[in-house]
Amino acid sequence: MIGNTVIRLQNTDIFQQKHLVLSDVNLEINKGDFVWLIGQTGSGKSSLLKVLYGDLHLTNGEGHSGGFDLKTLANKDVPFLRRKLGIVFQDFQLLSDRTVEKNLEFVLKATGWKDKTKIAERTKDVLEKVGLRSKLRKMPHELSGGEQQRVVIARALLNEPEVILADEPTGNLDPDTSEEIVLLLKQISQNGTAVLVATHDYHIIRTFPSRIIKCENGKILDDVQLV
Amino acid sequence: MLEEFEASASAKKTKTIYISTVISIAIVLLMVGLLGLILVHAHNLSRYVKENIVLNIIVDDAARETDILQLQKQLDVNPQVKQTQYITKELAARNLQKDMGEDFIKFLGYNPLLSSIDVYLKADYANNANITKFKAELTKNPLVKEVIYQQSLVDLMNQKIYSISLVILAFAGIFLIVSIALINNTISLAIYSQRFLIKSMQLVGATKGFIRWPFVGFALLHGLLGGFIAIILLVGLLYLGYSEIPDLVLLKNYYEFGIIFLAIIGLGMFISGFSTFLAVNKFLRLKLYDLYR
Repeated sequence: MIGNTVIRLQNTDIFQQKHLVLSDVNLEINKGDFVWLIGQTGSGKSSLLKVLYGDLHLTNGEGHSGGFDLKTLANKDVPFLRRKLGIVFQDFQLLSDRTVEKNLEFVLKATGWKDKTKIAERTKDVLEKVGLRSKLRKMPHELSGGEQQRVVIARALLNEPEVILADEPTGNLDPDTSEEIVLLLKQISQNGTAVLVATHDYHIIRTFPSRIIKCENGKILDDVQLV
Repeated sequence: MLEEFEASASAKKTKTIYISTVISIAIVLLMVGLLGLILVHAHNLSRYVKENIVLNIIVDDAARETDILQLQKQLDVNPQVKQTQYITKELAARNLQKDMGEDFIKFLGYNPLLSSIDVYLKADYANNANITKFKAELTKNPLVKEVIYQQSLVDLMNQKIYSISLVILAFAGIFLIVSIALINNTISLAIYSQRFLIKSMQLVGATKGFIRWPFVGFALLHGLLGGFIAIILLVGLLYLGYSEIPDLVLLKNYYEFGIIFLAIIGLGMFISGFSTFLAVNKFLRLKLYDLYR
């Protein structure tokens, strides 16, 4: 990885179940970038993200993500790649039976943290960052949708990722709350973590104009302007 | 860590699934254990019957008592022999008198019976081929006039025992396969209900081993628990059996019961642990895309 680049795909073809979804993908994302990813359903947005977090193998072309070479990425290294990434997904929710604190603690333990005081410290740190320090002992269902999504973002921040990958992070939220979440993600990117957000919400893109990547007709278009 | 896991994702639903898993493991182990106990009892019955097959060695009338006792001693040290009994002609006459209810010696004026040694063989040697060999060797001895045993009885016995054991073994084999399939199915379902939890753990960067071991640890515990439940039920059944058919007590062997119980626990833990291992692995290998299909 050279300099500030955290994600780089070069001449990459992306397959989902033997179907070519995206071809000749060239993409570079640097530290502190905030990038929108748009495209119709089935255009390959999710497949692109999957390649980046190691759920799909890269066969053609070059690819780097979070310091790992995606082409030579072994199955056993996938967990370590994911510790370099923060993943915020619609389907990837909090564990509903335990408090916010326990949710975060679980992730830390799963990623090799052993020291209890450090775990407690880190948990408080990330909740501080998303402004939910006071909700430590709340159950997920006691939080609003926006608050839950903030906790998910806090969870993504736990291992100080180089990139945050967000797939429809505002999918189920009202416009005001959506703006809060995007604002939070923007702040995170300003602190040096790259953020890639896949969305269908053009309104929010207009509110927070930034670099846009579009998946269309099996290709990737960089620096697209919304019309 | 295990406690923590117990309190994890959708704990209530999970607990219900776990209870049904433990119960199905227990039922299957109970059936397997029951077959095992029947097999052990059948085996012991055959041993019991075989060791009660008697060979009457009729001793030559001219033989001296010391020679006969010498022969009995020789037989006693023979590894094939379980026990011997020397029956003098007087004893034989008394026994016969008792059976007939008539004093035939007075009637005949002499005792026509001969002395004999009753030989009981160990179960492993109580088959026809061996008995024939044993008999041939004995007949060489000048003291021995004749060796009597009921060949047809031995044949019949061995045949019956063999076919009964075969049937029981076949049942046990089929049962084992069915039980493995059944437990495996239950466990697969239980793990299936946790597939999104497993996927979530993978997405935050947990290694496969870290995700797997609490599942497997719990599965081993479930196997152990199922085994204990099965053993309690089996002990109850044994107790019932012994009180209904007191003769069965003759066939009991605590050492063999212990082995069966240990095997049940081992089997339970193995099937439960291994099935869980496979089921978790299956979902660990699946791509996100496949979870929705």
